Amino acid sequence: DGVAILPAPQNLSVQSTNMKHLLTWSPVMVPGEIIYYFVEYQGEYESLYMSHVWIPSSWCSPTKGPECDITDDITATVPYNLRVRATQGSETSAWSTLKPPFNRNSTILTPPGMDVTKDGFHLVIKLEDLGSQFEFLVAYWRREPGAKEHVKVVRSRGIPVHLETMEPGAAYCVKVQTFVKAIGRHSPFSQAECVKVQGETLPL
Amino acid sequence: GLRRCLVSMDMRHVVESFQEIKKAIQAKDTFQNVTILSTSETLHRIKPLDVCCVTKNLLAFYVDKVFKDHQELNPQILRKLSSIANFFLYMQKALQPCQKQRQCHCREEATNATRIIHDNYDQLEVRSAAIKSLGELDVFLAWLDKNHRENSA
Repeated sequence: DGVAILPAPQNLSVQSTNMKHLLTWSPVMVPGEIIYYFVEYQGEYESLYMSHVWIPSSWCSPTKGPECDITDDITATVPYNLRVRATQGSETSAWSTLKPPFNRNSTILTPPGMDVTKDGFHLVIKLEDLGSQFEFLVAYWRREPGAKEHVKVVRSRGIPVHLETMEPGAAYCVKVQTFVKAIGRHSPFSQAECVKVQGETLPL
Repeated sequence: GLRRCLVSMDMRHVVESFQEIKKAIQAKDTFQNVTILSTSETLHRIKPLDVCCVTKNLLAFYVDKVFKDHQELNPQILRKLSSIANFFLYMQKALQPCQKQRQCHCREEATNATRIIHDNYDQLEVRSAAIKSLGELDVFLAWLDKNHRENSA
């Protein structure tokens, strides 16, 4: 091991949105030199039963930039330890470890994108493809006093889904939220979008 | 229904993780004519009432014994085994409330089924037993998927 003259990366943090997890850190600066970083992780299992075992990240062992997409490494809903070190030639820094450990159940879930359209008298929705871990809870109703709200769970991704056959002249509204079974959480609902059989999409 | 303590979980990723390493793991198994999980169809005869107990016991079998007894040097395989081990750890935690509410009682049949598996394991040299048990993970994963699905009988 090279002597640890090279400073260790600082300010490790994870930004996680919709189950995409990005580890970032402050770059180590050595004028005129190329710095590489190595990222390793251990799940709670390793930290409890095999604390000496650290696993090289799928995409960042090594990497040049001060960030690493760790989505493919964080595959269970348990706390993960993450560490980064810098190398420059044969010199190697000490490890910096993320504190506290990261658990994907803290990911920020945003309302999904949606496209509400009419196909003749059919109310159709197309949902943003957020990946296989996402289900969508679609709520739709006819815009009139006392109207009943219907709910449909959609698991297909990125393809149009028929919701309702509309009556001429009536307006219908739709809102959606995501559900991630792996962490047992919902996103907030999206803004409602309304369409009228003959008219254009109406803002609320 | 009779099955209590269902763990709501998405098993697709963990099943995919095992499928990706199954061939490599099973290739290391030098005792092909011996089995640890599948003797006399042990798991398939588990009754709904015993699902929670057997789940708890077999999760502990893998977490406390099998994964520990296996040392993996290949990073790709190590990643997949880590995925599975941490998924099992998550399941253990998800089962804990049930155990506290005494809904995970072990009847004799379930205890016997678990003991058969441990006995099979102990008859082999520990590294061989661990690699064989890892190679039979698909048997356990299929059983978990079938028995912890909300709408299965």
